[in-house]
Amino acid sequence: MSATQPTVATGKRVPTGLLIAALLLPLALINLVSFIIPVVRLTSISFIQSTGGGVLTDNWTLENYIGFFTDPFSLELIWNSVVMSLVVTVGTLICSYPIALFLHRVSPRWRNILFVMTISPLLVSAVVRTYGWMVLMGDRGVINGLLMNAGIIDSPLRLVNNTLGVYIGLIEILIPYMALSLIAGFGRLERSYEEAAASLGASSFTRFRRVIFPLTLPGVALGCLLCFVLAISSFVTPKLLGGGRVFLLATEIYDQAVIQLEWPSAAATSIVVLVIFGLALAVYGRVSRRLD
Amino acid sequence: MQQPAENRQTTPAAQPAFLSLRGVTKRYPNGFVAVDDLHIDVPKGSLLGLLGPSGCGKTTTLRMVAGLVPIEEGHLVVDGQELSAAPPHRRDIGLVFQNYALFPHMTVGENVAFGLEMRGVPRSEIRARVDEALEMVRLPGYRDRKPREMSGGQQQRVSLARALVIRPRLLLLDEPLSNLDAKLRDEMRVEIREIQQRLGITSVFVTHDQVEALTMCDVVGVMNKGRLAQLGSPDDIYERPASMFVAEFVGRINKLPCEIVAGDRVRLAGTVCRSAAHDLPEGRGIAAIRPHRIHLTAARDPNLVGNSTNAVKGIVRTVTYIGDIVQYDVEIAEGVLLKIEQHTQGSGLHHNTGDEVLCEWAPRDMLIFGRDDA
Repeated sequence: MSATQPTVATGKRVPTGLLIAALLLPLALINLVSFIIPVVRLTSISFIQSTGGGVLTDNWTLENYIGFFTDPFSLELIWNSVVMSLVVTVGTLICSYPIALFLHRVSPRWRNILFVMTISPLLVSAVVRTYGWMVLMGDRGVINGLLMNAGIIDSPLRLVNNTLGVYIGLIEILIPYMALSLIAGFGRLERSYEEAAASLGASSFTRFRRVIFPLTLPGVALGCLLCFVLAISSFVTPKLLGGGRVFLLATEIYDQAVIQLEWPSAAATSIVVLVIFGLALAVYGRVSRRLD
Repeated sequence: MQQPAENRQTTPAAQPAFLSLRGVTKRYPNGFVAVDDLHIDVPKGSLLGLLGPSGCGKTTTLRMVAGLVPIEEGHLVVDGQELSAAPPHRRDIGLVFQNYALFPHMTVGENVAFGLEMRGVPRSEIRARVDEALEMVRLPGYRDRKPREMSGGQQQRVSLARALVIRPRLLLLDEPLSNLDAKLRDEMRVEIREIQQRLGITSVFVTHDQVEALTMCDVVGVMNKGRLAQLGSPDDIYERPASMFVAEFVGRINKLPCEIVAGDRVRLAGTVCRSAAHDLPEGRGIAAIRPHRIHLTAARDPNLVGNSTNAVKGIVRTVTYIGDIVQYDVEIAEGVLLKIEQHTQGSGLHHNTGDEVLCEWAPRDMLIFGRDDA
């Protein structure tokens, strides 16, 4: 804190520590009510024995976790979820990077309007956008209709109700988040670095590989963390575009909690996802420390 | 009136040009002409200074030579090779930026090695040449530092090493001293010039500081509004400026309205004076005299002063004591003030406000410009 202490109207000095605590209090309260308490509750439910059909007993048990980890299907779910999220993250990065780089370089006059356009998809909920993709990519959808009418293909391309559909839908939904993170991390990228590299004999590809991309890695790491977490926790898009044929942790939690009413199992699966979040965060922490 | 700048180029003509700008022009789509029909020849091993106020086109010119701004009109020839259309990474040019532009994610050694890697120099040789380059800029042992751990002066020296280690055909320096503090700037000025001369590398130095241009450069091009106002040696530029703009830009100067009588005679504050110009057309003009070229003495009869010197009587209006010099404002006619700088001689030996004094200057120190030159 600086030497000048804030004063109240009476002229009395407010101790700095107290001031900080007062400023942090609202956020701390919101976090407590909307995050800490639910997670504690979730954790406790995951150790409760259930008799099926949504009835909870008063007995504590490890059954839910043992059940999860002894079922080969659960391990397949973890594998599917992690692989799907990684593919979606990399795909989103590839799609967003040119957009972000362009926005970073474009003249300030255009930057604001293009920036708003980039994040405008966030105005429409993911559910609506997912239905949009179903209309576009369905067997009798716009894309297949056009291609078949043009005689390019005889039978419809399988674009939905499979993993490909989930990838396409999720990547489109996550692009604004990735683009925002990348732009936020592009602060160190100055034109003169590229110009210096060019004068030293680096071709445009080498400039990208040796100078531009390394300098933007903090933004890349942040965007990848965000997109990985959002991808692995999404369930509406995988459920709708996967057509019930793509099995992931998030969709499984939804089924367990809402369809089978097995809250303790759903809670245990949620905790597993939370642990994966924690691991992703730890990887991010290590990466960003190394980049610094 | 002074001769136009084009006919007065003395320095470059003697030797063949190594760097040659021929009619280089930069037009922007909105009609703005940043650089207008520039013709400059620089002999091998010379340091060309491009001097001018901000927005005069000097940096754009440098960036066109570097290939960072495309040359759409005119030609750039380096060592007999047309380079106008070559991309920057094929021009073999060392570039030093005002903000250093060291890659922040690389160490000093990696920064300096970058250009050598791009040229496919073997690893063992890279190491030796990087050490040699760091030694040249007096930073041996700094190879593993990160740029941000170094001072501005050190960073600029690394950037110089990085530009020179590739042994480029040309070295371009874009206001390299502007981000440094005054003391360091003086040091770096000498150091850059010393390295440039030792390597004999043809260089272009962009600056808005006339001291840098005059002290460091072999040839100075003064630019104004995209055009070359004058090209010549530092001595030419200072002593024989081609226009009032150049005269004012390269140092303090008195600007006094005068009436041209005939030949080299002008009437200034009621006194007829002799000037450096010949064959002046009659009419109104502007006399320009540098403050330190005027000699101030206690008042005596101007007629006693020899014919070879101009002498005008005046009254001291303000005295500013600076230490090594004293600045005077002397009123030589109703409302006409002459700024004069004298080296201090010793305590109490300067004139005081209200003193009657005689201002003397040699005809060669009095430049006459037409009113439209101003």
